[in-house]
Amino acid sequence: MDVSSFMEGLSIALEPMNIMWIIIGGFLGTVVGMLPGLGPATAVAVLIPITFSMNPISAIILMASIYYGAMYGGSRSSILLNTPGDGSAIAATFDGYPMAKNGQAGPALAISAVASFIGGIIAVVGFIFLAVPLADFALKFGPAEYFLLMLLTLSAIIALSIGKMVKGFLAMMIGLALSTVGIDTQTGVYRFTMGIPHFSDGIDFLIVIIGVYAIGEVLYNFLNIDQQKKEKKKVGKVWFSKEQWKRSRMPILRSGPIGFIVGVLPGAGGTIASMIGYTTAKQTSKNPDEFGKGAVEGLAAPESANNAASVGAMIPLLTMGIPGSGTTAVMLGALIMLGLRPGPLLFEQQPDTVWALVNSMFIGNIALIIINILLVGLLVKILDTPAKVLYPLIVMLAFIGTYTLSYSTVDFFLLLVFGLFGLMMKVMDFPIAPLVLALIVGADMEQNFRMAVLSSNGSLGIFFSSGVSIALLVLTILSLFYPLILKLVKNKNNNKTQDDEVYKSS
Amino acid sequence: MRKLAMIPILLLLLFMTACSGSASGNGDYPTQNIEIVAPASPGGGWDLTARSLEKVLSGQELVKQNINVVNKPGGGGEVGWKYLKSQDSHSLAVNSSLVLTNNLLGQSDLTYKDFTPIATLATEWQALAVPADSEFSTASEFLEATKADPASIKIGVGPGLGNDDHLSLVQAASEFGINPSQLNFLVYEGGGDVVTALLGGHVDAVTTSLSEVKDQHLAGKLKILAVSSEKPVKGIEDVPTWKEAGVDMVFPHWRGIMGPPDMTEEEIAYWDEKLSKMVKTDEWKKILENNDWEGFYKNSEETKAFLQEQHDLYKQLVEDSGLVN
Repeated sequence: MDVSSFMEGLSIALEPMNIMWIIIGGFLGTVVGMLPGLGPATAVAVLIPITFSMNPISAIILMASIYYGAMYGGSRSSILLNTPGDGSAIAATFDGYPMAKNGQAGPALAISAVASFIGGIIAVVGFIFLAVPLADFALKFGPAEYFLLMLLTLSAIIALSIGKMVKGFLAMMIGLALSTVGIDTQTGVYRFTMGIPHFSDGIDFLIVIIGVYAIGEVLYNFLNIDQQKKEKKKVGKVWFSKEQWKRSRMPILRSGPIGFIVGVLPGAGGTIASMIGYTTAKQTSKNPDEFGKGAVEGLAAPESANNAASVGAMIPLLTMGIPGSGTTAVMLGALIMLGLRPGPLLFEQQPDTVWALVNSMFIGNIALIIINILLVGLLVKILDTPAKVLYPLIVMLAFIGTYTLSYSTVDFFLLLVFGLFGLMMKVMDFPIAPLVLALIVGADMEQNFRMAVLSSNGSLGIFFSSGVSIALLVLTILSLFYPLILKLVKNKNNNKTQDDEVYKSS
Repeated sequence: MRKLAMIPILLLLLFMTACSGSASGNGDYPTQNIEIVAPASPGGGWDLTARSLEKVLSGQELVKQNINVVNKPGGGGEVGWKYLKSQDSHSLAVNSSLVLTNNLLGQSDLTYKDFTPIATLATEWQALAVPADSEFSTASEFLEATKADPASIKIGVGPGLGNDDHLSLVQAASEFGINPSQLNFLVYEGGGDVVTALLGGHVDAVTTSLSEVKDQHLAGKLKILAVSSEKPVKGIEDVPTWKEAGVDMVFPHWRGIMGPPDMTEEEIAYWDEKLSKMVKTDEWKKILENNDWEGFYKNSEETKAFLQEQHDLYKQLVEDSGLVN
């Protein structure tokens, strides 16, 4: 790392105009992150005409702050309304929403903001020292490694479905089936598109998320709207207790680096990062039974991971010019138009740009934690909003969000279909996350599996051929059999503390 | 009284019809905001082309009306172009060779004849790249090895077979006497993924847009063996063209713009005038340079002939590639 360029970058980031862009971007990101369907990619795309008149450094600072701002905002609606706005906010519903239902909405919002902050700062520090070696590490990920990483993500479904394993697997199968819709990239064959060109790119998982969560949640509440009037919801304090902090501290610190590294891998991103963060927290926890019922560390860990991942995603963008996510792809396009070409030469030719961005992420995370803590008091009021105002509003936002995905009304039908589907799942007590998760990773998982096998001429040995793939396999097996082992240990031995230590290190 | 009140309303109605009549009648085109359809999500080449047009046409005040870029992703352009077909002459859409190949591959009923050609704007060149430590140091070495054992050499391409990245190598291979349907392609999701796969050593070679690999070549992270341009490309003069490498081929990856069917002569003339001015602006030249694009302007008349000629070429390539029988 070059100290003089670093200081140069810091002074650029501290220019009043740039601080203003950081705050505007962070606030905007928080807002779009909160709204279902409107994500950072849309927000950045809308802002492209504005960036035409900006200098490239300010533009990249603004766009990046929207990106990680959305990671802060994303969990707000997950916690309060059980309606995640993006894949990376799904994990926040598992324990965030139960917390809000238990009268802990305030502490939940506060701890997730703090977790995002710590995850973000860990990742920025990681960026400063590890950007180049990590970019090289990411290149080691071939099709086989990506397939195994996605398999590890899917193994999280086991952790999510304890108690209703069969239903969890059914939901996952449906998700995987849905992910096969669209053009098969290896052969160009159209699969299950029913002659509708709109389906050729597959079913957008965001529509499914908005449908099964937001619309499904509204419909579900509509079914028992009369009972709800009686209960007066408590929101709790706006800050978390010492006890909650103590429980979350270590999971937050562990998830930050995990999320950061996953974020660096092009194509993996916040969803996978937050899921792996969640299962790690659950499996290293002393009270895994509380997960899913409002365990504070079950909310904190994925929040730390997904924000760290959004910083990590900047590494392939800046060092190789390769966008690792939808948002960074839009950013890349905008930056090229401004004459700034991210890639292997950027660090050499314009180091001050890179360091200005890195420093702006420091400042941005500080600005964002302030914004988000200040918003807690305001946001918890959402819970007091009468249902007849709140639910139509959610439906309206769901439709707007869906439209912005590809500006097509065909998506509205999909939204409604998945809304009804989500309602059905809720009524029959199916876990929803396995379906969405399987849909998000399914297509890539399949393509990577086939590419791996194609490139090894049909031999499955390729999945055991590198250190990375073996490590991923071991983690997957541990994650799959962990609940079983835990059960055996519990049955055999009531004095489990000693054995627990052994599995903790996994 | 009531009858009296009707009079102003009637007058108003008359006035309104007169206005709309005159607007569509004389040569005041365009009368409304212009819409440029990018038939893809934000961030890709089509989107960049559309936004560059917006930037220069509005920024240089060549077009007084507001210009809006609309993204209509899906089906390799199909969704956006279908939409364009139903619009009036205030909508235009960005296109590329997919407007020809979608139909040739049997994936679309739309052909280039369903639209009004407006212009061809810019082109990128295709590149064949291998890892920095590859055993191949020239394009002919690569082709010789491929000829000997096509299955042993993994070639990365994205995001789908039948695009220019794929077909440019198909053409090079068949010029060299290799049956292109035997090439071993691994299909990645996008140009960026193809490059990471090459840098990580997961494929033996990639065929992609020059801009995806140019910086990596300059940084010594990979080697470009050949480019599909007529003359060597500025900045990487050391890289031979396919012609210099002994394969008689020039392969542009062009992008252009087209309108809905049945545009009038005046409307076409309007765009010929504006776009021919636009491509001469410094602003446009700057964009070409930033994107590693090259000026490839052809007016509406030339574009019409060009599309016809390209259609015949692509028909042959698609057949050679083995994608259709």
